[in-house]
Amino acid sequence: MGAKFLGVAVSLALLGSGPAAAQSTDITIWSWNVAASALKSTLEGFNKKYPDIKVTVEDLGNSQVFDKALAACAAGGDGLPDIVTIENFEAEVFWNRFPDCFADLTELGYTPEMQALFPEFKRTELEVDGVAYAMPWDSGPVAVFYRRDFYEKAGVDPSTIKTWDDFLAAGKKVMEANPGTVMAQADFNGDSEWFRMIANEQGCGYFSTDGQSITINQPACVATLEKLKEMKDAGIITAAIWDQKIQANTAGKAASQMYGGWYEGTVRSGSPDLAGKWGVYPMPSLTADGPRAANLGGSSLAISEASENKEAAWKFVEYALTTNEGQVTMLKSFGLVPSLLSAVQDPFVKEPQPYWGGQAVWSDILATLPKIVPARGTAFQADAESIYRAAQTKYFANDYPDAKAALDDAAKQIETATGLPIAE
Amino acid sequence: MPLRNRIAYAFLAPYLLIFATFWLWPIINSFLISFQNTRVNPWRFSLTVNWGRLVADPAFYNALYNTLIILVIQVPVMIALATVMAVLLNSPLLKARPLYRFAFFAPVVVGEVAYAAVFRLMFSIDFGIINKLIGSVGLPPVSWFDNGTAAMALVIIAVTWRWAGYNAIIILAGLQSIPGDVYEAATLDRVGKVQQFFHITLPLLKPIILFCVVLSVIGTMQLFTEPFLITNRGGPGGATETLGLLLYRQGFTSLNFGYASAIAYTIAALAVAISLLNLFIGREAK
Repeated sequence: MGAKFLGVAVSLALLGSGPAAAQSTDITIWSWNVAASALKSTLEGFNKKYPDIKVTVEDLGNSQVFDKALAACAAGGDGLPDIVTIENFEAEVFWNRFPDCFADLTELGYTPEMQALFPEFKRTELEVDGVAYAMPWDSGPVAVFYRRDFYEKAGVDPSTIKTWDDFLAAGKKVMEANPGTVMAQADFNGDSEWFRMIANEQGCGYFSTDGQSITINQPACVATLEKLKEMKDAGIITAAIWDQKIQANTAGKAASQMYGGWYEGTVRSGSPDLAGKWGVYPMPSLTADGPRAANLGGSSLAISEASENKEAAWKFVEYALTTNEGQVTMLKSFGLVPSLLSAVQDPFVKEPQPYWGGQAVWSDILATLPKIVPARGTAFQADAESIYRAAQTKYFANDYPDAKAALDDAAKQIETATGLPIAE
Repeated sequence: MPLRNRIAYAFLAPYLLIFATFWLWPIINSFLISFQNTRVNPWRFSLTVNWGRLVADPAFYNALYNTLIILVIQVPVMIALATVMAVLLNSPLLKARPLYRFAFFAPVVVGEVAYAAVFRLMFSIDFGIINKLIGSVGLPPVSWFDNGTAAMALVIIAVTWRWAGYNAIIILAGLQSIPGDVYEAATLDRVGKVQQFFHITLPLLKPIILFCVVLSVIGTMQLFTEPFLITNRGGPGGATETLGLLLYRQGFTSLNFGYASAIAYTIAALAVAISLLNLFIGREAK
C-alpha cells in the first residue's frame, strides 16, 4: 500500500511540475567582494529578459568560496550552489581532482562560436580535453591606483615613474610631503600579490606556462623578490591585508595601491567621498624598457553538475558573460574588466570617468591587455603559494643570505611537495 | 550468548552503529587513505608518497615546532597565572567575588570569531590600542602580524587570555576543597603566607593542576582557531602555522586527503605519547 501511495504522489508531483516550473526558478551563486556586487548589478537587465528566474548572489569572501566549493566537490557536489565563481589561477585543482563536479558547458549551449568570443589565454585553464568547465568572466590587467593630491603636493608626476627605482624615489618624496601616509601597501602576510604581479610583468611565475616544471627561482623572479625587499626596507611599502588597504584608502593613509583593474570598483565604491582625487597609471617595470603589463586575478563562472536548474543557470551565465550588456554593466558598476573581446570595444571604455578626475581610466588599463603573458596556476597552486609565502617572510626577516637562496629553497620545497622538476 | 546480553546489545545497537559509522570507520579509513596518492585521479596506492613526504617536509617540521613552542611556553604560563588568579579569587578580603569570578570566566563564553576580530583590531599596527599603549611609554610599535615572533606571542597571549580564567575556576574549586584548619595550624606555627602557599596549597592542589595541564595540552595539540582567525591562517608565512592548520591546509585547500591523513595520524600519535607521559607523572605523584 505504501508503494501505491508513493506512486500516486509521484504522478501528482509530475502533473504539478509543469506549471510550477513555469512560475519561477531559483538559482544561487557564490561569489566575493566587488565581483558579487557586480553580478547583482546585472540582475535588473537579466530579469527583464527572464522574469521567471530568480537569482540570489551570496558574497562569501574569496577564500571561503574556494574552500567551501572544494569541500562540496569532495562530498560529491552536495551543498554546491547552481553557479560558483572560480578564480582562474586556482581553477585547475577543481577539474584535476573532481572532473564530475561541474557541468560541461558545451552540452548546455556553449558553442565554438561563443568560445571564440573570449581570448585564448583566458580559456587555457578552463577547458580540458574538449570539456569546458567554466566560462571566462573578467581579467585583471595590473595598474597603479594613486592619490593625485598626494603626488601633486610632493611634486611627483606619475608619468615619470617608469621603473621600480623611480617608484621608490617618488615614494620617499610623497611620504615626506604627506606625513602619516605610506606610498603603497602589500599583503605580505596573507598573500603574495606584489610578487606575482611584478614577476608576471617580467615573464616569470611559480610554474612554467605548460605547467610541467618549477620556475620560481629563475633570474626574473629573483630580481623581483630583491626589489620587493628593497622597497619594504625603505619603508615605502608596508604590510596590510585587503580590509586594511580599504581602511587606509578611506582614511587617506595610502598614496597608492597596485592591483588588477578590478580594484577600480573597490576604490570607487569604498571611498565615494574621494571622487576626483584618485588617478591611474601603468605599473612600473624592473627595467626602463619593460612591458609594464601584468595580470592579477580574473575569474570565471562554473555551473555545478548537481544543480537542478542547469538550464536556468546557463541562461544567466550566457547573459552575464557573453553579452556586451551584461559585461559592460559590470564594468560600469564595479570595474570588472571584461574578458569578452567585443565588450572591450564598447564606447563606455573611451569615456572619461568623473570619479577618476576625468581620466579615461579604462582605455589606459585595457591598453596593456595585448602585452600580458599568462601565468599558469596548475593544480599545485595552493602548495606552491604557501611555500612561497613562508620563504618571503623568512627572506624579509633576513633569514636567507639573498633572494636567490630564498627562492632556491622555495623551489626545492615545491619539488618535494609536487614531484615536478625544477626548470634549468 | 545469553538472551540477557543479546537484549542489552540490541539496545546498544543504535549507538554502536553510529559509533562505527562516524568514529570507527573514519579512523580506519583515514589510515588506509594515508597510503594513497590522492592527487591523481583515480587514487593510487603508494607506501611512500605521503609518509615519505612527511619525514622530509619542512612545512611539517615548522608546524610541529610551532605547536611545541606554544605547548612549552603557553601552558606553564597560563597554569601559573590561573593558580595566582584562583588564590586571589579565594581571598576573604575580596568584595563582589561572584562578579570577578564571572569576569574571569567570561572569555570562554565569548564566540571565537568575535573575539578574534576584536583582537585583530586591538593589535592592529597603525590603529590598535595595544601599540598606542606601547607607544605611550616611548617604545617603538610592534608589527604584530608581520613579524613571526610577535605573531607567535600574539597567539600565545590570545590563547592565554581565553583559557586562563577557565582554569582558574577549576583550580578555585580545588582550593576550596582544602580544609581551613591546615592553614590555621600553620598560622599557629608562625608559617608565613608565602611559605603556606608553597608548602601547603601547591602540594594539595597538585592533582587539580595536573588535570588542568592535561586538558591544556590536548587543547594546544589541536590549536586551530587563533592562528586561523587572528594571525590570518598561520601567517606571516607559516610562522604561526600549527599542526591543526597544516592538516586543514593539506586536506581542504590543497585537497590532498592522503597527506592530510598521514598528518592526522602523526598528531594522534603525539597526543597519545604526551598523554602517557602525563599519566606517568600522575602515577608518580601518588
